[in-house]
Order: sequence, then C-alpha cells, then structure tokens
Amino acid sequence: MYGKKKWYIKILIIIALLLGALFPAFPILWMVLNSFKPNPEIFAWPPTWISKAFSFEPYIEIFQSPEKLRFFFNSYLISFFVVLLTLIISILAAYAFSRFEFPGKGILNAMIISVQAVPPITLLIPYLGLVVTLHLYNTYGALILTYLLFTLPYAILMMTAYMNTLPQELDEAVMIDGGSRLKALWYVLVPTSVPGLVSVGMYTFMRAWNEYLFALTLTKTNDMRTVPVGISLLMGQHAYEWNQMLAMSVMGSLPVLILFLFFQKYFIAGMTAGSVKH
Amino acid sequence: MAGNILIIIKRENINANIILSAKYNYNHLEVEVMLSIKKGMVVLVVLAVLFSMSGTGFAQDVSLEFQQWWGVELPEGELRDIVDGYTEETGIEIELLSNPYADTKDQISAGAATGTMADVVGLDGSWVYDFAVQGSIANLSKLMEADGYDDSQLSDQIRVNGSTYMIPVANFAYPMFVNMDLLKEAGVTELPKTRSEFIEAAEAVTENTDAYGWIIPLSTSTPSGIQNNFMGWLWASGGSMLENGRPNLVGNEKLIKTVEFQKTLFDKELVSPGVYAMTESDMVEEFANGRVAFMIDSLAHLTTLRRGDTDLNMAMMKVPTMDNYNGKSGIGVANWGIGVASNTEYKAESMDFIEYLMSPEVNARIAVAANAFPGNVNAEPEYEGADPLFLDAFEIYKDSYAINEFTGLPTSEQLMRVFAENLQLYLEGDYDSADEMLAVIEDEWEKAFE
Amino acid sequence: MKKIFNSFNKNGHKIEKTPYLYLSPTLILMAVLLVIPIFMVLRYSFFDNVIINNNPVFVGFQNYINVLTDDRFLIAVKNTLFFVSVSVIAHLVIGLYFAMLLNTDYLGEKTKGIFRVIYALPWMFTASVIAILWKMMYNPHGIINYLLQISNLSSANIAWLGSRSYALMAVTLINIWARYPFYMISILAGLQGISGDLYEAAAIDGATPVKRFFYITLPQLKPILISLLTLDFVWTIQQFALIWLTTGGGPISATETLSTYIYKQAFSKYQYSQASASAGIVLLICTILAIFYAKQQKART
Repeated sequence: MYGKKKWYIKILIIIALLLGALFPAFPILWMVLNSFKPNPEIFAWPPTWISKAFSFEPYIEIFQSPEKLRFFFNSYLISFFVVLLTLIISILAAYAFSRFEFPGKGILNAMIISVQAVPPITLLIPYLGLVVTLHLYNTYGALILTYLLFTLPYAILMMTAYMNTLPQELDEAVMIDGGSRLKALWYVLVPTSVPGLVSVGMYTFMRAWNEYLFALTLTKTNDMRTVPVGISLLMGQHAYEWNQMLAMSVMGSLPVLILFLFFQKYFIAGMTAGSVKH
Repeated sequence: MAGNILIIIKRENINANIILSAKYNYNHLEVEVMLSIKKGMVVLVVLAVLFSMSGTGFAQDVSLEFQQWWGVELPEGELRDIVDGYTEETGIEIELLSNPYADTKDQISAGAATGTMADVVGLDGSWVYDFAVQGSIANLSKLMEADGYDDSQLSDQIRVNGSTYMIPVANFAYPMFVNMDLLKEAGVTELPKTRSEFIEAAEAVTENTDAYGWIIPLSTSTPSGIQNNFMGWLWASGGSMLENGRPNLVGNEKLIKTVEFQKTLFDKELVSPGVYAMTESDMVEEFANGRVAFMIDSLAHLTTLRRGDTDLNMAMMKVPTMDNYNGKSGIGVANWGIGVASNTEYKAESMDFIEYLMSPEVNARIAVAANAFPGNVNAEPEYEGADPLFLDAFEIYKDSYAINEFTGLPTSEQLMRVFAENLQLYLEGDYDSADEMLAVIEDEWEKAFE
Repeated sequence: MKKIFNSFNKNGHKIEKTPYLYLSPTLILMAVLLVIPIFMVLRYSFFDNVIINNNPVFVGFQNYINVLTDDRFLIAVKNTLFFVSVSVIAHLVIGLYFAMLLNTDYLGEKTKGIFRVIYALPWMFTASVIAILWKMMYNPHGIINYLLQISNLSSANIAWLGSRSYALMAVTLINIWARYPFYMISILAGLQGISGDLYEAAAIDGATPVKRFFYITLPQLKPILISLLTLDFVWTIQQFALIWLTTGGGPISATETLSTYIYKQAFSKYQYSQASASAGIVLLICTILAIFYAKQQKART
C-alpha cells in the first residue's frame, strides 16, 4: 500500500472510532439500561445508570404473554415472505433494466422512484379501501404486498446497478450453449449476485420489520399484528409501560442485529454495486 | 464496451445456426417466463386467500366487534370477563379489538371511510361531533327509542343536533393532585383554595425545594392538556368558554383572568420546564418523580402513581378558584364513551350490548375497575376497598358539577390545538394581551362552527 | 451502451415484449396497489371535501390555491427545507466520515466488523421506538442535560423539544441519527470498489491525503452518492413518525413540516381534499427530482 503504517496513526484511528461510536451506541445503551429499571426510575434525576431494582421482569412478562410472542411470530413470518418475494420480483425487474433497452425504460425508472414520494398518510384511506375490496383486510397477505411496494424500488435500483457490473458475456455464454434466458439468469446471474441479494435482503427485512402505520391500519385483531404495533399498544391513554416497551424494542432488534452480524461480510460487498464503473 | 465488441466479432464468425437457436431460445424463453410469472401469480393469490382465511374466520351466529382502548387500561382480563358475561346471557359473541389510544381516532376515520369499522366502538367525547356529521356513527336516540330504553338512568348523553351519538360508560374526574412531601419541605401547611394562595404555595415550593410548583402539558400533538389541565381552572371558578354552544372567548372576563393567571405562573418561573412538548403521560412521570408539587390529572392515573416502589405522599384537592368566587365549582371530566357504527348489520344487537354495559351492576363493576365514576346514575359501585385518595376525590366530585365543554364540539381536537399554540405564543410574550390572543383563537374556532 | 440483444430486434418486433414480461410482476403490483390509490388521491385534490361528503363537487385548483396561500403551509415548507437539507447533508458527511474511518487498512477485519455493527445500530429500530428513546433523553430531566451539567457545559435543564429555538434542530438531530447508517454502509461498499491503483499512483505523485480525497475518492463515489441523495431526499421529505411522536409539529409551529401539516389537515381538520392537494405538491416536487435522477442514470450507462 501507500506509505508506512505508523503506530500512532493506528491509535488515532482507534480513538476516533471509539469516540464516533458514542453517537450511535450511547442512545441504544441508555435504552437497554432503562429496560431493566422499574418504571418511575426511568425518569429519575439525577439519572441512575444501573438500577438498584435491576430486574428482568419486563422481559419475563413478554415471554409469558402468548399475545406478545405472537407479535414476534407475525413479524418474522411477514418479513420472511417480503424478503423472499422482493428478491424474486426485483431480480426479474433488474434483469430487464440491466439487459434490455426498451421504450419507456426511462419513464419507468423515474416512476419507480417518484411513486415513493406520496406521503403514506394521504394514501391510507384509498389504500385501505383497495385492500378491503381485494378481501385482504386483516391478513398477512395485505401486509406482505404492501411492504413489497416499499421495498421494491430500492431493491430494483440496487439489483440493476449490481447486474450492470456483471459482464454480459456471462449470460451470453449460457445462451450460446443452448440455454434460455431464464436459465442464464438463474444459473449464472443469480449465483454471482449473492452479495447483492444479501444486501437487498437485509434492507428489505429491516423495512418490513419496522413498519408501523400500515401494520396498524390493515389489521384489526391482535393475532395479526406485528412488533411495532405491539410496542404502541403499551402506550396507554394515560401512562406508558416504558420498561416493557423498551424491552420489546431491544428484543425486536436482536434478531436484526444477529442477522447483520451473520451477513455483514456479504452485505458490504453487495453494496459495492453502484460504485463500480463500467 | 471492449467486451461487447469482442463478442460481436465472435458472433459474426459463428454460423447462422446459432442465431436460429437463439431465436428458438427466445420463443422457449417467452413461454417459460409466462409460465413462471403465471405460477408466481397463482402462488400469490393462493397465499392471499390462505392468509385471508386465517385472518377473518366466519362466525355462524351473531358476533359483534367491539373496538376500544379500555382493555389495556383495565386490570388484565377484566374487560374480557365483563363481555363474556354478555355472551353467557345472550349467546352473542363479542370480539374485542384494541388499538393504541393515540391512533384510535384516525383508525375509526379510516375504518368509517372504508366500511371496516367495528360494530361497537369506544369513543372520546372530542371525536363525536365529527364522526356524527360524517355519518360514521349511528344515531343512538333512534336505537334507544326502538328498544324502549329508559335513558333517564344515563348520567349524560353526548348529542349532536339534538340526537344522541355517544353514551359515557365511565367518567374520569380531573381533581388536583398534591405532593404533600414537597409542601411540607417548602413549609406550606395549608392546601391552597384560591389562585393567590396557589401562587404563594407554588412559589414556596419552587424556592425552597428542587421541585417546581406547577406543571401543565401543552403538547400540540395531543393537545388535550387544554381541555383537562387548562380549562379546569376556568370551570372551577364557574366560568365557561361557550355561549349557546358557540365560542365565547373575546371579552370573557373569567377566561381572560385564567389566561393571565397562567402567565403569572410562567413569568414567575414556577412551571416545570419543557411543558410545550409535554403530553399528559410525561407530566405524570414528572409528578411521580417528585419534581412538581401540583398537577391536575385524571383519577385514572392513581394506579399508575401507586405502582412500583414509589412512596409518594399524595393528597387530592379541588382546583383553586378565583379569589372572590363563592359559587359551585365545575370539575373537568373525560369519559370512556361508546357508540355504534352506522354501517353495522347488527344495530339492534349493538344497542343491546351497550345496554348491558350500562346496566347498573355491570356499569358499577367497570367503574370500580377503572377508578372511574359510573355512567349509569343507578349504579352503586362499591368503592369500599378503594384507595382512600380515590374516596377523597369522589367527595370532591360529588361537591362539584361535572363539565367538559369540548365534548361534542366540531373538530374538537383541532380547537384545543389552536388554543395550545396561541397560548404558547402568549406565554412567550408574542401577544400584548390575553384578549388579543383570545380574539385570534376565536377567529380560528369560528371557522369550525360554520 | 448498446445492448447486444438489441440486434435481435431486427429479427422480429415480438422481442420488444420480453423486458416487459420480466417487469410484469413489478408493474402489476405497482399499477394495482400504488397507481390506483395515488390516482385517487390526486382526484380527491380537485374535489371539495371528499370522504366526509358523499357528493363532492369538482373545484378545479381551488384546493391547491388554498394550500399554497396558507401561511402555515409556507412555514411547513420552510421547516421542511431546513429539516431535509440539514439531514441530507449531515447524513452524507457523517456517513462519509464513518465509512472512511471504517475503511482504514490500519485495523483487522474483526475489529472493523464489530465497529461496523455498532455504527449501524440506529438502523435496527422502528421509528416509534427511536422517537420515545430520544424524547426520554431530551427530557429536561433527561440524560443529555445531565451529561451537559456534569461536564459543566450547561447549568440549566434545557427543554430541547419544548423550546422554539432548539426544537427543530433537536428533531433534525434525531433524524440524522436514525438514517445515517444507510449512507455509511453504502459508501463503505463504494469505497471498497475504488481500485487501489488509483491511490498508489496518486501517492507516487506525492498527492496529500486531502487531495486524494477530493480528486479520487469523491469523484469515484459520485454515482453512488447521487443515488443516495435522491432516495434520501424523497424519504426525508415525508418523515412523519419521528416528528409527530416527539413534538407534533410544535412548540407553536417550530417543527411543523409538510408531513405533520398534511396529517393535521387529513385527520384533525378532516380536510382530505386539502391534504391530498398538499400531497400532490410533494409528489410533483419529488417527480421532478426523480426525472433528473433518471436522466442522470441514463447518462451513466
């Protein structure tokens, strides 16, 4: 590489990294600490770091409530299907954008971005009406289809960028050997796109896992609801169950955290797509 | 680029067979793509159908949906138990649907517009006018008449244009909560009865302790602080913000005095910091942590304040009145109201269910469980085992008249928000006088009443 | 770049259908579930008091005129401009800075991996949780004031969200915190795609690190940065939950943005038509931006 690695630069970088880490990590740490406190202590002054009444009770209460566990189950199930379908649909679409020139390509490209621009709140009533007409109200299907709309634009954009970096020769080789386009896509482009797929998958999972407004509006019974709605149900008319809310968010983000740790190698590589020049 | 050119050259060298086979491949591909897309769509539809079946379920007999936020507020399982009593009596199943309180209003709006509203809905008095005018909730007067229901047993009915649209199931009074430890520390020996005494007490607390004297939640996202915490002062002195059901703000002597009184508290810095973004629940946490001596709050909060290991030494008192006021005091109330969706198939059944909830015994049970006062005047709730503070508040309640002037007003929440925003401006010194502020608010309010 | 498969076009016009077949799941989904509701919203915006009124009357551009002449809307536009521009720029700067730090070759993969996860933490929480978390910290008796006081930076219990002068900045900071990881990760990936040869050549020429940053890193990242800025602009302009759950647009109108304005129009004043008109304006702005983006994308390929 360029220049010698000097030890003091290394120390400086580590210090900078540690200082920088305070920004993202401190609020999270504060949340985790508070989730172990009894409710009134959360607002104590001066603030307490580790509660004298340290307790796992908020966590235990969640585990003992079948209703709350159901929220987690629903969130996993919905997020799983959203990731799966987003990947399939966006691969097909990205293939079209990446390998073909066709009339309307530019318009479709712009539309995919601009349709995200309508504030969801204004869409709420017509959208709910549509979901009811399609007999999807209070179903997993409604949420899965809705989240596809949120995740597809980014997924298609990223997958297109990624496929653009893969040379055409790859798929042509298959086709020259007598394979079909779909074969080329499935056996050549998809396996080489794994990093891109993982990065899009992670993004998609987080979007689906964290969505609130439609999760609430498109469902009515608690057995169809997801973690963010479950958290809001703890915000009562008069008082909040702070510690349980915080415990639920900590628990909700743990699987995401584990997924991220597990996939992060691919994740970083996958995002490279947009930057590679052709 | 280079790669593509290379391939093109290569292609030219290969004979036409390849082009033919490519053509064949294309046709083959088209079929394949079509098939796979069709397959995909079939899977989607099947999934959707499966999901929709798992979600809704088909009831054979009459089943009513009851959407409310009360279940979360009551002891666990209590509401289920109460409605199960109804199923036992009538065989009509009740499905309890719950929503976070803060979203309930929007969800009812959306539900009413799309026909997904539950049969029976929990309501807040401030929503009734809008839902009634929009035709979302049914006219209960007609239903009661059809049933021959004796409505004289109801403590109140919320009417729009002369017809009842909401019946209060439980009433929550808003007395003043006092932190006695802080008063003791500040050397205040007597509970203030008038506004001047209140200012003195608040000053003593702010000066002699780490806490503040007064707190008022003025958040504009949930502006109910205007109704519950601000107007409480006006009503306690027998004042009113309406005249013949229309806004009466400009030149309203009692209201002007009340606004100026609040400004005095702010100017003397007796008010806890951060109230402009504060909601009711934030206020309660401040009080629970002993950082404020006085607050006006719902009795429903008593349980919250008693929970955990707080050893708060509290008392209840009447909201202090204007110095020379000797009349009867009004006490702010909020209620858990109930109404029927106008698009329900089961109007009669829904009314029957409401009558069950309003029957003296059941109503008394709800009142006791919720720390509330019953909506049926014949209900005799047994508060014997209740918190002594609750009983104190009950005495105050009986000694006052219950009032909430925002109930049944058009876009009630928006009226409160306009008031809250302008009150903040006034407190910040942006207005020269209280009357100037009230004129601006009245102008805005009038638009809603047109 | 002219695609090789285009040469097939001359063999038969049927070939034109192929890309649309691949796009069909996306197009069907979007047409049914997104274009229809958007069309309905746009239609509402030309009628008088829809949804509440059973027989709405066509009023042309009246709703747009009402919205554009509403002082409150103009305040919302001003605040949104601040909120969006500060957020987007801060996202970019912080994302870039953290990504450069994490891209160092002074540290091992494992160490960097741990820091990557820590730096991406804010991404993993739902908006309502982020809102209540920061509301807790911004409380006058919250941890931020406490830390400021024990380090002697302040002696007052500042009401960050309750003060006209701080609230907008405070809310913007929450949004910066919540969304920068998206940039950081994307830029980090972009940085790894820049060929080391470029830097080596620059080092031989004696270019300083600052010069290397401005003449190699930034230009190389440009395409990815433009995509990020476009997406972020569209997403930030409609940020609702974080603002609504912390300040509700207050105090007074200090944090009123387009999204809170539209919400109040629709669900507090029940003026769906005016809310729809406001949404139409936002859609128009974002569509113009999207067209620029698509043009820029075309120029790239």
